[in-house]
Amino acid sequence: MTAAEAGSDRELLRRYHEGGDLEAREQLIERHLPLVRSLARRYANRGEQLEDLVQVGSIGLIKAIDRFDVERGVELTTYATPNIIGEIKRHFRDKGWSIRVPRGLQELNVRLSQLLEGLTLELGRSPTIPELAEAAGVEEEEVLEALESGQAYATVSLSAPAGHGEDGELDPLESLGEVEHEYEVSEHRAVLAPGLDVLDERERVIIHLRFWEGLTQSQIAARVGISQMHVSRLIRRALEKVREEIGSGRGSPEPRT
Amino acid sequence: MARALSADSITLSIPHAKAYHGVARLVVGGLAARLALSYEHLEDLQLALESVLESDRYVDGDEVTVLLVVGSDSVVMEIGPLDPVALRESLDDAADGAISLARLLSTFVEEVSLEERGGRHRLRLEKRVPLTRPEPREPV
Repeated sequence: MTAAEAGSDRELLRRYHEGGDLEAREQLIERHLPLVRSLARRYANRGEQLEDLVQVGSIGLIKAIDRFDVERGVELTTYATPNIIGEIKRHFRDKGWSIRVPRGLQELNVRLSQLLEGLTLELGRSPTIPELAEAAGVEEEEVLEALESGQAYATVSLSAPAGHGEDGELDPLESLGEVEHEYEVSEHRAVLAPGLDVLDERERVIIHLRFWEGLTQSQIAARVGISQMHVSRLIRRALEKVREEIGSGRGSPEPRT
Repeated sequence: MARALSADSITLSIPHAKAYHGVARLVVGGLAARLALSYEHLEDLQLALESVLESDRYVDGDEVTVLLVVGSDSVVMEIGPLDPVALRESLDDAADGAISLARLLSTFVEEVSLEERGGRHRLRLEKRVPLTRPEPREPV
C-alpha cells in the first residue's frame, strides 16, 4: 500500500470515528478485504472453507476499524492484522473441540500438556499416569479420560495456522524448511513415498523423525520446540491421513508380484 | 468396591467400529496407570493398537478382541481375529520409504508376530517396559 493510500486510510478513519461517517467505514472494510483474504488463505485447507475464514477474518477487520485510535501513529493494516488473525484463530479454537467434550476435560487436557512438559524436564523421563494425576490433583481415571478426550480435538485445530503454534506462539515447525536441509536428500525422498505425499511438510518431518530416525515423542518435541502432546496429535493426524490415502487407493503401492 | 488388579491378563471384546476404539484405548490406559507405565509407553501401546484397529484392511469380522497380558518385563497385546493375507502383506512390506504397518509396529513395540489358533489369526505385540507391580488400592 502506498503512502498516499495509507493517508487515505487515515482520512477515512477520521471521517468514521470523528464524524460517524458509515460510508467511510464501508470503504475501509472493502479496501482491506484483500488483506483478510490473504491472511485467511494461510489458514485454508485445514478443514474450513476459505470463504468461511474470510467471513470470520472480516469480523476481526471490522473490530480493528471500530477500535482504531486515530491519534496513534500506526497504520490500520498493522493494527488490523493481529485482529484478523486472532479472530480466525478463535474460530479454530472454538471449533477445535468436539462439542461433546465437557469444558472441564478440555481444560484438564490443556493442563496435562503443560504438566507433561514440566514433569518430563523435572524427572528426566516421561512421567507416569499416576504422576500426572498427582501433579494435576485429579484421579488417574480423570487423566485418562482427559487424554482420551484429546482424541476428540479436531485435527483442524492441530494444524495451527501457518506461522503459529496451538498456543499462539511462533511455531518453530514453520521453519522446518530450514531444518529439512539438514537431512540427506535420500532421506527426504523416503518420506515422500506412497501415501506420504498427502502429508504437509511439518507432518512429514515429524513422521520422519519418529519412524525413520527413531526419536521418541519427547525427543521430537525438544528438537522442534513444540509440546509433546502436540507431537502426539501431529503423529496421529498424519497416520490417519496416510490411512485414508492408502484406503482410498490413491496412495497404494504398486501391486506385488 | 474398587479392587486391585489381581489377574495378569485383561480380555476386551468390542464391536469393530471406530466409536468403540476409544474404549480399547481407555482400557490400555487403565492398565498403564496401574502398572505405572510412562506416558510415552502408553502412547506407543495405544498407537500400535490404533494402527491395527483403525485400518479397514486387517480386522476380520464385526468384532475384535484385545487381550492384554502383563509379563515380567513386558506388556503383550494380542489383537484378533485378523485377515492374515492383508496383515502378512503389510508386515512383509519392507520398502524403505513406505510407512507400512511393519514400520509403525516396529517403532512402537519390540516384538511383532502373527499367530494362528483354531484357524483364527491374531497379532501378538510385545512391548518391553519397566514394570512396577500394581499395589492394592484403597477401597472407595
